[in-house]
Amino acid sequence: MIAMQVANLIAEYYVFLQLTDEEELNLDTAVKMTESLADHLEEMDKGFLRELVDAFPVIGEEYSGEAREVVRNIAHSLYLEEALAADDPVKLAELEALRDARG
Amino acid sequence: MSESPHGRKPSAFSRWLRTGRLPPAVSPDGLELKFNPWHDPTDGRFTFAGAGRHYGTGEADTASGASSRTSARAGATPASVGRSKSQTATRSKPETSRTRPPASDAHRAVRPMSSPVQPRGIGGGRPGNEPNPVTEFVGGVGEGLHEVGRETVAGVRAALTTNPVTTVRNTGRGIAAMIDAAIAAEDTPARIQASRAASAVADASARDLGRATATVAGNVALTAAPAAALSKAAALRRLRMARPRTTFDPPQIGWVKETTRSRKPWKAYNDAATGAQPGLAPTLMRTMADGSKRPVKFDGIQGDYVIDRKWKVVDAPRARAQLLRQSKVLAEHRLIGMWEVPTPVQKAKALELLKKMNIANIHVKVAKP
Repeated sequence: MIAMQVANLIAEYYVFLQLTDEEELNLDTAVKMTESLADHLEEMDKGFLRELVDAFPVIGEEYSGEAREVVRNIAHSLYLEEALAADDPVKLAELEALRDARG
Repeated sequence: MSESPHGRKPSAFSRWLRTGRLPPAVSPDGLELKFNPWHDPTDGRFTFAGAGRHYGTGEADTASGASSRTSARAGATPASVGRSKSQTATRSKPETSRTRPPASDAHRAVRPMSSPVQPRGIGGGRPGNEPNPVTEFVGGVGEGLHEVGRETVAGVRAALTTNPVTTVRNTGRGIAAMIDAAIAAEDTPARIQASRAASAVADASARDLGRATATVAGNVALTAAPAAALSKAAALRRLRMARPRTTFDPPQIGWVKETTRSRKPWKAYNDAATGAQPGLAPTLMRTMADGSKRPVKFDGIQGDYVIDRKWKVVDAPRARAQLLRQSKVLAEHRLIGMWEVPTPVQKAKALELLKKMNIANIHVKVAKP
Protein backbone atom coordinates (compact mmCIF):
# COMPACT_ATOMS: atom_id res chain seq x y z
CA MET A 1 0.00 0.00 0.00
CA ILE A 2 2.80 2.35 0.91
CA ALA A 3 4.62 1.32 -2.24
CA MET A 4 1.65 2.40 -4.34
CA GLN A 5 1.61 5.80 -2.63
CA VAL A 6 5.32 6.25 -3.10
CA ALA A 7 5.06 5.02 -6.68
CA ASN A 8 2.33 7.59 -7.31
CA LEU A 9 4.55 10.30 -5.93
CA ILE A 10 7.48 9.19 -8.04
CA ALA A 11 5.33 8.91 -11.16
CA GLU A 12 3.99 12.43 -10.72
CA TYR A 13 7.47 13.82 -10.28
CA TYR A 14 8.78 11.81 -13.21
CA VAL A 15 6.03 13.01 -15.54
CA PHE A 16 6.83 16.55 -14.49
CA LEU A 17 10.48 16.07 -15.38
CA GLN A 18 9.78 14.46 -18.73
CA LEU A 19 6.83 16.39 -20.04
CA THR A 20 6.96 19.88 -18.62
CA ASP A 21 7.39 22.49 -21.30
CA GLU A 22 10.88 23.80 -21.88
CA GLU A 23 9.74 27.32 -21.05
CA GLU A 24 8.94 26.22 -17.51
CA LEU A 25 11.68 23.71 -16.86
CA ASN A 26 15.19 23.67 -18.18
CA LEU A 27 15.67 20.50 -20.15
CA ASP A 28 19.17 19.81 -18.89
CA THR A 29 18.07 20.38 -15.34
CA ALA A 30 15.24 17.93 -15.89
CA VAL A 31 17.67 15.29 -17.08
CA LYS A 32 19.94 16.00 -14.16
CA MET A 33 17.07 15.52 -11.72
CA THR A 34 16.01 12.37 -13.55
CA GLU A 35 19.47 10.96 -13.01
CA SER A 36 19.22 11.98 -9.39
CA LEU A 37 15.89 10.19 -9.12
CA ALA A 38 17.41 7.04 -10.58
CA ASP A 39 20.18 7.19 -8.00
CA HIS A 40 17.66 7.56 -5.19
CA LEU A 41 15.64 4.60 -6.42
CA GLU A 42 18.67 2.35 -6.80
CA GLU A 43 19.62 3.04 -3.20
CA MET A 44 16.26 1.79 -1.96
CA ASP A 45 15.74 -1.58 -0.40
CA LYS A 46 15.55 -4.20 -3.12
CA GLY A 47 12.24 -5.55 -1.90
CA PHE A 48 10.65 -2.15 -1.78
CA LEU A 49 12.12 -1.24 -5.17
CA ARG A 50 10.58 -4.40 -6.52
CA GLU A 51 7.17 -3.26 -5.29
CA LEU A 52 7.71 0.13 -6.85
CA VAL A 53 8.75 -1.37 -10.17
CA ASP A 54 5.66 -3.53 -10.16
CA ALA A 55 3.47 -0.57 -9.22
CA PHE A 56 4.48 1.72 -12.08
CA PRO A 57 2.57 -0.13 -14.85
CA VAL A 58 -0.52 -0.09 -12.69
CA ILE A 59 -0.21 3.58 -11.90
CA GLY A 60 0.43 4.34 -15.55
CA GLU A 61 -3.13 3.33 -16.38
CA GLU A 62 -4.29 6.35 -14.42
CA TYR A 63 -2.55 8.59 -16.94
CA SER A 64 -3.37 9.15 -20.56
CA GLY A 65 -1.49 9.69 -23.73
CA GLU A 66 2.23 10.31 -23.58
CA ALA A 67 2.27 10.41 -19.79
CA ARG A 68 0.88 6.88 -19.65
CA GLU A 69 3.79 5.53 -21.69
CA VAL A 70 6.23 7.57 -19.65
CA VAL A 71 5.00 6.10 -16.35
CA ARG A 72 4.81 2.59 -17.71
CA ASN A 73 8.45 2.82 -18.83
CA ILE A 74 9.90 4.26 -15.61
CA ALA A 75 11.60 1.01 -14.66
CA HIS A 76 13.04 0.58 -18.14
CA SER A 77 14.19 4.19 -18.48
CA LEU A 78 15.90 4.31 -15.09
CA TYR A 79 17.51 0.85 -15.34
CA LEU A 80 15.60 -0.31 -12.27
CA GLU A 81 15.35 -3.93 -13.38
CA GLU A 82 19.13 -3.97 -13.87
CA ALA A 83 19.52 -2.55 -10.37
CA LEU A 84 17.40 -5.38 -8.97
CA ALA A 85 19.41 -7.99 -10.92
CA ALA A 86 22.81 -6.50 -10.09
CA ASP A 87 23.99 -9.74 -8.50
CA ASP A 88 22.59 -12.00 -11.21
CA PRO A 89 24.71 -11.99 -14.34
CA VAL A 90 22.33 -14.28 -16.18
CA LYS A 91 19.43 -12.00 -15.46
CA LEU A 92 21.52 -9.00 -16.47
CA ALA A 93 22.40 -10.63 -19.80
CA GLU A 94 18.76 -11.39 -20.37
CA LEU A 95 17.79 -7.80 -19.61
CA GLU A 96 20.47 -6.52 -21.89
CA ALA A 97 19.19 -8.67 -24.72
CA LEU A 98 15.66 -7.42 -24.11
CA ARG A 99 16.87 -3.84 -24.09
CA ASP A 100 18.77 -4.31 -27.33
CA ALA A 101 15.72 -5.88 -28.94
CA ARG A 102 13.57 -2.99 -27.83
CA GLY A 103 15.94 -0.42 -29.21
CA MET B 1 90.81 54.56 -98.59
CA SER B 2 91.78 52.91 -101.78
CA GLU B 3 90.87 49.52 -100.50
CA SER B 4 88.72 47.35 -102.60
CA PRO B 5 85.26 46.64 -101.33
CA HIS B 6 86.35 43.12 -100.34
CA GLY B 7 89.38 44.34 -98.52
CA ARG B 8 87.44 47.00 -96.73
CA LYS B 9 84.87 44.72 -95.21
CA PRO B 10 86.88 43.67 -92.16
CA SER B 11 87.81 47.21 -91.33
CA ALA B 12 84.26 48.38 -91.89
CA PHE B 13 83.00 45.70 -89.58
CA SER B 14 85.54 46.51 -86.91
CA ARG B 15 84.63 50.15 -87.20
CA TRP B 16 81.00 49.27 -86.84
CA LEU B 17 81.87 47.26 -83.78
CA ARG B 18 83.72 50.17 -82.28
CA THR B 19 81.49 53.05 -83.28
CA GLY B 20 78.21 51.54 -84.25
CA ARG B 21 78.48 53.28 -87.62
CA LEU B 22 79.61 52.14 -90.98
CA PRO B 23 82.29 54.07 -92.87
CA PRO B 24 81.08 56.32 -95.64
CA ALA B 25 80.41 54.46 -98.82
CA VAL B 26 81.69 55.62 -102.16
CA SER B 27 80.63 54.72 -105.59
CA PRO B 28 83.14 53.36 -108.13
CA ASP B 29 83.61 56.85 -109.41
CA GLY B 30 84.53 58.15 -105.98
CA LEU B 31 81.25 59.75 -105.10
CA GLU B 32 80.01 59.34 -101.59
CA LEU B 33 76.75 57.54 -101.28
CA LYS B 34 74.37 58.23 -98.49
CA PHE B 35 71.12 56.67 -97.51
CA ASN B 36 68.14 58.82 -96.81
CA PRO B 37 65.66 56.80 -94.79
CA TRP B 38 62.98 59.43 -94.91
CA HIS B 39 60.22 58.92 -97.44
CA ASP B 40 56.80 60.26 -98.09
CA PRO B 41 54.57 57.20 -97.67
CA THR B 42 52.00 58.60 -100.07
CA ASP B 43 54.21 58.90 -103.13
CA GLY B 44 57.48 57.33 -102.00
CA ARG B 45 59.48 60.52 -102.54
CA PHE B 46 62.42 61.40 -100.31
CA THR B 47 61.66 63.95 -97.68
CA PHE B 48 63.65 66.04 -95.29
CA ALA B 49 64.69 64.40 -92.06
CA GLY B 50 61.91 64.49 -89.57
CA ALA B 51 59.21 64.65 -92.24
CA GLY B 52 57.37 61.70 -93.72
CA ARG B 53 58.18 58.20 -92.62
CA HIS B 54 61.51 56.81 -91.54
CA TYR B 55 62.36 53.55 -93.28
CA GLY B 56 65.26 51.48 -92.44
CA THR B 57 67.49 51.58 -89.43
CA GLY B 58 65.02 50.34 -86.86
CA GLU B 59 64.26 53.72 -85.44
CA ALA B 60 60.96 55.46 -85.28
CA ASP B 61 58.68 55.05 -88.24
CA THR B 62 57.37 58.51 -88.36
CA ALA B 63 58.69 61.93 -87.80
CA SER B 64 56.75 62.26 -84.59
CA GLY B 65 58.30 59.12 -83.21
CA ALA B 66 61.84 59.79 -84.25
CA SER B 67 64.35 58.86 -81.64
CA SER B 68 67.19 60.95 -80.46
CA ARG B 69 69.53 59.06 -82.71
CA THR B 70 67.36 59.82 -85.69
CA SER B 71 67.07 63.38 -84.60
CA ALA B 72 70.81 63.59 -84.30
CA ARG B 73 71.12 63.01 -87.94
CA ALA B 74 68.05 64.89 -88.83
CA GLY B 75 70.06 67.44 -90.65
CA ALA B 76 72.21 65.04 -92.58
CA THR B 77 72.17 65.52 -96.28
CA PRO B 78 73.45 62.50 -98.06
CA ALA B 79 75.68 63.90 -100.71
CA SER B 80 76.87 67.16 -99.36
CA VAL B 81 80.06 66.21 -97.58
CA GLY B 82 83.36 64.68 -98.33
CA ARG B 83 84.83 61.48 -96.99
CA SER B 84 87.52 63.23 -94.99
CA LYS B 85 85.00 64.82 -92.70
CA SER B 86 83.74 63.09 -89.70
CA GLN B 87 80.22 61.87 -89.63
CA THR B 88 79.24 64.60 -87.27
CA ALA B 89 80.76 67.08 -89.59
CA THR B 90 78.82 65.75 -92.50
CA ARG B 91 75.60 66.86 -90.92
CA SER B 92 74.15 69.86 -92.54
CA LYS B 93 70.93 71.67 -92.75
CA PRO B 94 67.97 70.19 -94.53
CA GLU B 95 68.21 73.04 -96.99
CA THR B 96 70.89 71.05 -98.76
CA SER B 97 68.35 69.21 -100.72
CA ARG B 98 68.24 68.14 -104.31
CA THR B 99 67.29 71.63 -105.30
CA ARG B 100 70.35 73.22 -103.78
CA PRO B 101 73.49 71.14 -104.12
CA PRO B 102 76.51 72.60 -102.34
CA ALA B 103 78.60 74.65 -104.70
CA SER B 104 81.71 74.58 -102.52
CA ASP B 105 82.28 70.91 -103.03
CA ALA B 106 81.56 70.79 -106.69
CA HIS B 107 84.21 68.22 -107.54
CA ARG B 108 82.19 65.67 -105.66
CA ALA B 109 79.16 64.84 -107.62
CA VAL B 110 76.12 64.84 -105.51
CA ARG B 111 73.86 61.94 -105.94
CA PRO B 112 70.33 63.22 -105.79
CA MET B 113 69.09 61.06 -102.94
CA SER B 114 65.81 62.85 -102.89
CA SER B 115 65.16 62.07 -106.45
CA PRO B 116 61.69 60.92 -107.22
CA VAL B 117 63.12 57.97 -109.11
CA GLN B 118 64.21 56.41 -105.81
CA PRO B 119 61.05 55.40 -104.05
CA ARG B 120 62.43 52.33 -102.29
CA GLY B 121 64.06 52.42 -98.96
CA ILE B 122 66.82 50.19 -100.18
CA GLY B 123 68.17 51.44 -103.46
CA GLY B 124 69.99 49.15 -105.79
CA GLY B 125 72.57 51.79 -106.58
CA ARG B 126 74.09 52.08 -103.07
CA PRO B 127 76.14 48.97 -102.62
CA GLY B 128 78.56 50.34 -100.07
CA ASN B 129 76.41 52.27 -97.69
CA GLU B 130 73.14 50.36 -97.57
CA PRO B 131 72.46 48.45 -94.39
CA ASN B 132 73.09 44.76 -94.44
CA PRO B 133 69.74 43.33 -95.50
CA VAL B 134 70.19 40.18 -93.46
CA THR B 135 71.14 42.13 -90.37
CA GLU B 136 68.29 44.51 -90.88
CA PHE B 137 65.85 41.68 -91.40
CA VAL B 138 66.95 39.94 -88.23
CA GLY B 139 66.71 43.21 -86.34
CA GLY B 140 63.21 43.70 -87.65
CA VAL B 141 62.25 40.21 -86.57
CA GLY B 142 63.40 41.03 -83.08
CA GLU B 143 61.45 44.26 -83.01
CA GLY B 144 58.30 42.61 -84.26
CA LEU B 145 58.48 39.82 -81.76
CA HIS B 146 59.21 42.30 -79.04
CA GLU B 147 56.18 44.40 -79.95
CA VAL B 148 53.90 41.40 -80.06
CA GLY B 149 55.12 40.07 -76.75
CA ARG B 150 55.50 43.38 -75.00
CA GLU B 151 51.85 43.85 -74.14
CA THR B 152 51.43 40.28 -73.01
CA VAL B 153 54.52 40.38 -70.86
CA ALA B 154 53.49 43.73 -69.46
CA GLY B 155 50.05 42.35 -68.67
CA VAL B 156 51.41 39.35 -66.87
CA ARG B 157 53.95 41.38 -65.01
CA ALA B 158 51.37 43.95 -63.96
CA ALA B 159 49.02 41.24 -62.89
CA LEU B 160 51.58 39.47 -60.79
CA THR B 161 53.77 42.21 -59.41
CA THR B 162 51.72 45.36 -59.14
CA ASN B 163 50.66 44.72 -55.60
CA PRO B 164 53.05 42.94 -53.27
CA VAL B 165 50.04 41.63 -51.43
CA THR B 166 48.60 40.41 -54.70
CA THR B 167 45.46 38.61 -53.88
CA VAL B 168 44.58 35.48 -55.70
CA ARG B 169 41.45 37.10 -56.97
CA ASN B 170 43.31 40.07 -58.40
CA THR B 171 45.84 37.77 -59.97
CA GLY B 172 43.06 35.82 -61.59
CA ARG B 173 41.50 39.00 -62.89
CA GLY B 174 44.81 40.19 -64.27
CA ILE B 175 45.45 36.91 -65.99
CA ALA B 176 41.92 36.90 -67.34
CA ALA B 177 42.43 40.37 -68.78
CA MET B 178 45.74 39.33 -70.25
CA ILE B 179 44.21 36.26 -71.83
CA ASP B 180 41.37 38.33 -73.22
CA ALA B 181 43.87 40.70 -74.76
CA ALA B 182 45.84 37.82 -76.16
CA ILE B 183 42.73 36.22 -77.62
CA ALA B 184 41.72 39.52 -79.17
CA ALA B 185 45.24 39.94 -80.48
CA GLU B 186 45.33 36.53 -82.01
CA ASP B 187 42.08 37.17 -83.79
CA THR B 188 43.11 40.30 -85.62
CA PRO B 189 46.74 41.17 -85.80
CA ALA B 190 47.87 38.15 -87.75
CA ARG B 191 45.54 38.97 -90.59
CA ILE B 192 45.89 42.71 -90.33
CA GLN B 193 49.61 42.63 -89.93
CA ALA B 194 49.96 40.29 -92.85
CA SER B 195 47.95 42.61 -95.04
CA ARG B 196 49.91 45.56 -93.77
CA ALA B 197 53.11 43.77 -94.50
CA ALA B 198 51.87 42.89 -97.97
CA SER B 199 50.93 46.48 -98.69
CA ALA B 200 54.11 47.84 -97.24
CA VAL B 201 56.47 45.34 -98.72
CA ALA B 202 56.74 47.39 -101.87
CA ASP B 203 58.69 50.12 -100.17
CA ALA B 204 59.80 48.35 -97.03
CA SER B 205 63.35 47.94 -95.93
CA ALA B 206 64.74 44.62 -94.88
CA ARG B 207 64.10 45.59 -91.28
CA ASP B 208 60.51 46.38 -92.11
CA LEU B 209 60.11 43.02 -93.74
CA GLY B 210 61.63 41.35 -90.73
CA ARG B 211 59.35 43.23 -88.40
CA ALA B 212 56.26 42.34 -90.39
CA THR B 213 57.31 38.73 -90.54
CA ALA B 214 57.95 38.61 -86.85
CA THR B 215 54.65 40.26 -86.06
CA VAL B 216 52.83 37.58 -87.97
CA ALA B 217 55.00 34.91 -86.43
CA GLY B 218 54.47 36.36 -83.01
CA ASN B 219 50.76 36.30 -83.38
CA VAL B 220 50.93 32.78 -84.65
CA ALA B 221 52.84 32.02 -81.49
CA LEU B 222 50.04 33.65 -79.52
CA THR B 223 47.62 31.40 -81.34
CA ALA B 224 49.56 28.45 -80.03
CA ALA B 225 49.93 30.04 -76.61
CA PRO B 226 46.40 29.48 -75.29
CA ALA B 227 47.31 25.99 -74.16
CA ALA B 228 50.05 27.39 -72.02
CA ALA B 229 47.89 30.30 -71.00
CA LEU B 230 45.05 28.01 -70.03
CA SER B 231 47.38 25.85 -68.03
CA LYS B 232 48.49 28.95 -66.18
CA ALA B 233 44.89 29.98 -65.65
CA ALA B 234 44.06 26.50 -64.40
CA ALA B 235 46.94 26.66 -61.99
CA LEU B 236 45.71 30.02 -60.79
CA ARG B 237 42.22 28.65 -60.44
CA ARG B 238 43.61 25.92 -58.25
CA LEU B 239 45.45 28.59 -56.35
CA ARG B 240 42.23 30.51 -55.96
CA MET B 241 40.49 27.37 -54.74
CA ALA B 242 43.29 26.67 -52.31
CA ARG B 243 41.92 29.02 -49.77
CA PRO B 244 43.68 29.49 -46.47
CA ARG B 245 42.78 26.99 -43.86
CA THR B 246 39.68 28.07 -42.04
CA THR B 247 40.34 29.13 -38.53
CA PHE B 248 37.57 28.81 -36.03
CA ASP B 249 36.91 31.09 -33.18
CA PRO B 250 37.49 29.67 -29.73
CA PRO B 251 34.41 27.97 -28.31
CA GLN B 252 31.86 30.49 -27.12
CA ILE B 253 31.40 29.14 -23.64
CA GLY B 254 28.80 30.84 -21.58
CA TRP B 255 28.15 30.43 -17.94
CA VAL B 256 24.76 30.25 -16.30
CA LYS B 257 23.77 30.01 -12.69
CA GLU B 258 23.42 26.48 -11.38
CA THR B 259 20.78 26.60 -8.69
CA THR B 260 20.26 22.90 -8.12
CA ARG B 261 20.80 21.99 -4.52
CA SER B 262 21.43 18.51 -3.16
CA ARG B 263 23.41 16.80 -0.44
CA LYS B 264 23.67 13.63 -2.47
CA PRO B 265 26.93 12.47 -4.06
CA TRP B 266 25.69 13.07 -7.61
CA LYS B 267 25.76 16.83 -6.96
CA ALA B 268 29.33 16.82 -5.67
CA TYR B 269 30.38 14.60 -8.53
CA ASN B 270 28.94 16.95 -11.16
CA ASP B 271 30.45 20.00 -9.52
CA ALA B 272 33.89 18.40 -9.52
CA ALA B 273 34.15 18.28 -13.32
CA THR B 274 37.28 19.78 -14.89
CA GLY B 275 36.82 23.47 -15.63
CA ALA B 276 33.69 23.72 -13.53
CA GLN B 277 33.03 26.85 -11.53
CA PRO B 278 31.13 26.86 -8.27
CA GLY B 279 27.48 27.77 -8.76
CA LEU B 280 27.94 28.11 -12.52
CA ALA B 281 27.40 25.75 -15.40
CA PRO B 282 29.22 26.10 -18.75
CA THR B 283 26.88 26.37 -21.69
CA LEU B 284 27.04 26.30 -25.45
CA MET B 285 24.47 28.23 -27.45
CA ARG B 286 22.31 26.09 -29.69
CA THR B 287 20.75 27.62 -32.79
CA MET B 288 17.11 26.62 -33.09
CA ALA B 289 15.26 26.07 -36.37
CA ASP B 290 13.73 29.54 -36.14
CA GLY B 291 17.17 31.11 -35.64
CA SER B 292 16.78 31.70 -31.94
CA LYS B 293 19.50 30.63 -29.52
CA ARG B 294 19.13 28.47 -26.45
CA PRO B 295 21.79 27.30 -24.05
CA VAL B 296 22.85 23.70 -23.58
CA LYS B 297 24.31 23.13 -20.15
CA PHE B 298 27.35 21.04 -19.37
CA ASP B 299 29.39 20.44 -16.22
CA GLY B 300 32.92 21.35 -17.29
CA ILE B 301 35.30 22.05 -20.13
CA GLN B 302 38.81 20.91 -20.90
CA GLY B 303 40.37 22.13 -24.15
CA ASP B 304 38.14 21.12 -27.02
CA TYR B 305 36.25 18.69 -24.79
CA VAL B 306 33.05 19.79 -23.15
CA ILE B 307 32.34 17.63 -20.15
CA ASP B 308 29.02 16.38 -18.91
CA ARG B 309 29.22 14.28 -15.78
CA LYS B 310 26.56 11.66 -15.20
CA TRP B 311 26.29 9.96 -11.87
CA LYS B 312 23.64 7.66 -13.34
CA VAL B 313 22.93 7.06 -16.99
CA VAL B 314 19.23 6.94 -17.81
CA ASP B 315 17.33 6.11 -20.98
CA ALA B 316 14.43 8.47 -20.43
CA PRO B 317 12.85 10.43 -23.31
CA ARG B 318 14.47 13.69 -22.27
CA ALA B 319 17.77 11.98 -21.69
CA ARG B 320 17.73 10.89 -25.32
CA ALA B 321 16.67 14.37 -26.36
CA GLN B 322 19.54 15.80 -24.36
CA LEU B 323 21.95 13.47 -26.10
CA LEU B 324 20.80 14.72 -29.50
CA ARG B 325 20.89 18.30 -28.30
CA GLN B 326 24.42 17.98 -27.01
CA SER B 327 25.62 16.29 -30.18
CA LYS B 328 24.11 19.01 -32.33
CA VAL B 329 25.52 21.90 -30.35
CA LEU B 330 28.92 20.25 -30.19
CA ALA B 331 28.93 19.85 -33.96
CA GLU B 332 27.78 23.42 -34.34
CA HIS B 333 30.77 24.61 -32.30
CA ARG B 334 33.13 21.98 -33.72
CA LEU B 335 33.78 20.54 -30.29
CA ILE B 336 33.81 17.08 -28.79
CA GLY B 337 31.70 16.00 -25.88
CA MET B 338 32.88 13.89 -23.00
CA TRP B 339 30.60 12.05 -20.69
CA GLU B 340 32.32 11.24 -17.45
CA VAL B 341 30.74 8.46 -15.42
CA PRO B 342 31.80 7.05 -12.04
CA THR B 343 31.81 3.33 -12.84
CA PRO B 344 32.39 0.96 -15.76
CA VAL B 345 28.77 -0.17 -15.43
CA GLN B 346 27.58 3.33 -16.13
CA LYS B 347 30.06 3.58 -18.98
CA ALA B 348 28.62 0.45 -20.57
CA LYS B 349 25.14 1.95 -20.32
CA ALA B 350 26.34 5.21 -21.82
CA LEU B 351 28.08 3.51 -24.73
CA GLU B 352 24.99 1.45 -25.43
CA LEU B 353 22.83 4.57 -25.48
CA LEU B 354 25.26 6.47 -27.73
CA LYS B 355 25.31 3.54 -30.11
CA LYS B 356 21.53 3.40 -30.28
CA MET B 357 21.38 7.13 -30.98
CA ASN B 358 24.23 7.03 -33.53
CA ILE B 359 26.15 9.71 -31.69
CA ALA B 360 29.82 9.91 -32.66
CA ASN B 361 31.00 13.21 -31.25
CA ILE B 362 30.53 12.33 -27.60
CA HIS B 363 33.02 10.11 -25.88
CA VAL B 364 32.67 8.31 -22.55
CA LYS B 365 35.23 7.74 -19.86
CA VAL B 366 35.21 6.66 -16.29
CA ALA B 367 36.08 9.42 -13.87
CA LYS B 368 36.16 8.13 -10.35
CA PRO B 369 34.54 10.42 -7.79
